[in-house]
Amino acid sequence: MPAQPDVAAPPSSASRPAFDWRSFRSRLDVKSAPYLYIAPFFLLFALVGLFPLLYTAFVSVHKWGLVTGNQGFIGLDNYQAVLDQPRFWQGMGNTFSIFLLSSVPQIILAIFIAAVLDANLRAKTFWRMGVLVPYVVAPVAVGLIFNQMFADQSGFVNAIFANIGLPAVGWHADAFASHVAIATMVNFRWTGYNALIVLAAMQAIPRDIIEAAVVDGASRLRTFFSITIPMLRPTLIFVIITSTIGGLQIFDEPRMFDQIGLGGNDRQWMTITMFMYEVGWGNQRNFGRAAAVAWILFVVIVVIALLNYWLTSRIASSGAATAKLHGASRLLGTTKGDRR
Amino acid sequence: MRSPILLRSAAAAAFAAILFAGCSQAPAPAPTDTGAAPTDSAAPAEEITLTVATFNEFGYNDLLAEYTKLNPNVKVEEVKAATSDEARANFMTKLAAGSGLSDVEGVEVDWLPEIMQSADKLADLTDPALDGRWLDWKAAQATTADGKLVGYGTDIGPEGVCYRADLFEKAGLPTDREEVAKALGSTWDDYFNLGKQFVAKSDAAWFDSADAIFQGMVNQVANPFSSTEPEETLIPLDQNTQIKAIYDQIVKAAVDDKLSANLQQWQPDWQNAFQNNGFATMLCPGWMLGVIEGNAAGVEGWDIANAFPGGGGNWGGSFLTVPAQGAHVEEAKKLAAWLTAPEQQIKAFKLKGTFPSQVEALTSQDLLSVTNPFFNDAPTGQILADRAKAVTVVPFKGPNYFGYRAAISNAINRVDVDKTHNAADSWATAVSDVAALG
Amino acid sequence: MSAPQMPVGMIEQVAGKGAARAARRRRGMDQGIRRPGWLTYLMLAVILVICAFPLYYAFLLASTNATYIAQNPIPSLIPQGQFLENVVRVLSADIKFWQAVINSVIVAVTTSISVVFFATLAGFSFAKLRFRGRNGLLAFVIGTMAVPTQLGIIPLFIVMAQLGWVGNLLSVIVPAMVTAFGVFWMTQYLSEALPYELIEAARVDGCSMIRTFWHVALPAARPAAAMLALFTFVASWTNFFWPFVVLGSSNPTLPVALQLLQGTYFKDMALIMAGVVLATIPLLVLFVVAGRHLVSGIMAGAVKG
Repeated sequence: MPAQPDVAAPPSSASRPAFDWRSFRSRLDVKSAPYLYIAPFFLLFALVGLFPLLYTAFVSVHKWGLVTGNQGFIGLDNYQAVLDQPRFWQGMGNTFSIFLLSSVPQIILAIFIAAVLDANLRAKTFWRMGVLVPYVVAPVAVGLIFNQMFADQSGFVNAIFANIGLPAVGWHADAFASHVAIATMVNFRWTGYNALIVLAAMQAIPRDIIEAAVVDGASRLRTFFSITIPMLRPTLIFVIITSTIGGLQIFDEPRMFDQIGLGGNDRQWMTITMFMYEVGWGNQRNFGRAAAVAWILFVVIVVIALLNYWLTSRIASSGAATAKLHGASRLLGTTKGDRR
Repeated sequence: MRSPILLRSAAAAAFAAILFAGCSQAPAPAPTDTGAAPTDSAAPAEEITLTVATFNEFGYNDLLAEYTKLNPNVKVEEVKAATSDEARANFMTKLAAGSGLSDVEGVEVDWLPEIMQSADKLADLTDPALDGRWLDWKAAQATTADGKLVGYGTDIGPEGVCYRADLFEKAGLPTDREEVAKALGSTWDDYFNLGKQFVAKSDAAWFDSADAIFQGMVNQVANPFSSTEPEETLIPLDQNTQIKAIYDQIVKAAVDDKLSANLQQWQPDWQNAFQNNGFATMLCPGWMLGVIEGNAAGVEGWDIANAFPGGGGNWGGSFLTVPAQGAHVEEAKKLAAWLTAPEQQIKAFKLKGTFPSQVEALTSQDLLSVTNPFFNDAPTGQILADRAKAVTVVPFKGPNYFGYRAAISNAINRVDVDKTHNAADSWATAVSDVAALG
Repeated sequence: MSAPQMPVGMIEQVAGKGAARAARRRRGMDQGIRRPGWLTYLMLAVILVICAFPLYYAFLLASTNATYIAQNPIPSLIPQGQFLENVVRVLSADIKFWQAVINSVIVAVTTSISVVFFATLAGFSFAKLRFRGRNGLLAFVIGTMAVPTQLGIIPLFIVMAQLGWVGNLLSVIVPAMVTAFGVFWMTQYLSEALPYELIEAARVDGCSMIRTFWHVALPAARPAAAMLALFTFVASWTNFFWPFVVLGSSNPTLPVALQLLQGTYFKDMALIMAGVVLATIPLLVLFVVAGRHLVSGIMAGAVKG
């Protein structure tokens, strides 16, 4: 799905005599270069990604204790056993709850912050660096800090609440409150980061297009939704896909939310990767089942990511269509005119 | 049209050449390898380096250097993990991968049974010369069914009761540690009854955490989760009347009689409560003294009574194991044996409070003369030695102990700390959690 | 049609006249777009305070002691006087702090350079070159991100043990030398920011593919590459579990070393927070020094379509 389907494909330096050595070399170059350039990724992936993946797949269809090792092929029993555990479904539910509480506000907030930062500010660099500060704090450190702040009885947040007359919240005891607290940790660390990614893309949008729309009488808001957002499409796809993949694998923040790292006494904030870790390394020490969880999660993530991709593409391209209807082509014409 | 492009391209190429020192050269960054500690490479034939993996505080800082002084050809490096959980995850991962473990690995008693499932991957440490070095029950914990010793005992956690003399005084309870020991009585009911007297006259709670009380009680049950005659058979939790009775007793004391401060150990709330008169007593294994002293810095009134409800009790303690995958198993055994000798363990106790598991150490004047100024100059060496001798029952912990124990711990905390469940619902959840372990 | 214009853009990119061009554009914009009002700055200030507060909170705790922290759920907003004392305690703790810093720098720098190079190379290929299987391979790259990493630890450890790299920094560097994330990011960025006309012009000039990459793609990718470098640096700097397993405390990276501050029965929050602040400071410094270039790199923007 190329971003600019109307633009010609890369040139094949055509129309030279067939037996020209240079032409042959050039054609070879054109043919082989794409593969050569992506080769390093795939070579490394084969070593550190594919082998673990296949190994995991192999483990998932065997009875395999973490320390006792392979005890024979059992087909899909591990998958069955995992799907039968109520904690698995609870983990799925928690993961989606935390994921939604973090990703949706985060992306909206990131676009908003990017739009503000995109203004013609004084001391731009200062503001831009400022929003990225949380990102440089390690997740483990964020966990320690927020665990202290969100302590149920003696924490900073509840003390502030008490001062302004609000009731104390059981940030660890209550399932939903714990999801909010963890989502806050995630949003704290990642919103500024995503804002800068979106900002980078905004900066890459030709100013003249936006200005021309404004000159044409479109409101700032309308310009933003009809031109800016559609033109952010590749970046938004990137942000949404990566935050889907990252969000569904969330591990560090909830794990650091208390000292024990299992997701609470009722597993009220246990995510699916934490469940996998507990099955594999914790009380069950069942590497086979943990591998099965990993593969189930893998499939779920791929499905959700595809769904997201499809949705994002539709939203962004329907926006683009609107933009076109409302004279984007004319705007582009103006732009070209300006450049000449 | 064409020439400017060419010219510019040439200029660009020149610029790029300066920047990147030429197009043709592959600019792949050469990974610089520095800082990696060389492990016994190019060493003379006999000189070796041993690694010892520890967690928390084993108190080995000076001992390792001392060993090298005694054995000039052996260098010893300590590989530390912060917590027992991290050490456990690391141990399991490397045991599963089949390599990478240290020559000597520290193992905590609660997860020792898990790795004893693969005793064939651990060196047999049986040594007639060391027979009788450890308390019988300590050695038994690290001995497999077929008589193989897989770990040398380091420390144990004999338990007394720590208490706040100042809060006791305000509530009209005795304050002197001998009188307190008497007042505490001998059973858990005695302990809870004294607690009821206390909370009637005080704002503070009687104990910190219901789950900690469970830890004390379960460590007095010979077969908490499985029967061992003739071989280990797990008792389904819904049929485990013994554990259910303990659970009910604790929940009643904690919730109905309001003896609990409703805290979970090691969490920030628990830590902060030390500074806020949160509770008056704690079950106190030897290593807990340092924890209280750190958390309660500046608080006066802590003391320790030479008593424990329901008889003696042990909480925690570790072992040194020698993984068979190591390159220097024999040398590692020697090192582990030396580190767990009474003299060395007493040094560690003085440094970090890890109480010796060695019989000979318990009568050593060096140990018995230790006092602790923070606990009102209590003779902690003598008290803990007495408490160690009072330990008569040591629970059998099979490979599933860890999982069962965690499920009960969660169940109690749901009722005591989170208050999200009533006792019956929380128990039912524990039953279902345990069923999933299978 | 636009042939005369394109090489100009290209030359500017390559010759690094970006700054001048950006300045020109900014001047042009200054006349076109008025400066935003105080409300915008107020909003930004609020955002900034929210962003900075947790770190400041950590600093506040690090400037006190454990007793103070336990007694005061809301610390005084003015730092207390014990910060340096706590820092000294961290530095003198038995955790190989300086070796950890050096190791972290080596790992972070090497992986950043390597990821930027290989990811841009692959991103250029995926975004701008047409070849059989492109979409499938790209989807595959993205798919690899969906594999939960925790479980890969055991097989990856087996690989490292076979290579004899356990305990060696290579075991942390090599697996991170090119990431699916980086490839995806560069692909998405270049697909928008690098016009086909530029590549075409370079090709018409007789540039080989690799020269086209050097002279056209790499310069156009600079802003995104700067960000990718930062992301990689931070990710590498904050990574805990894999370095903990494969390096251990004898040759630690910074998070592995700092974690050991919690290795006492009594968790001294003031000490731990001092460790948190100390581990974050190098990144903040990097941020102040490189961030300016980084952010202005983003501002310079790519070639305008």
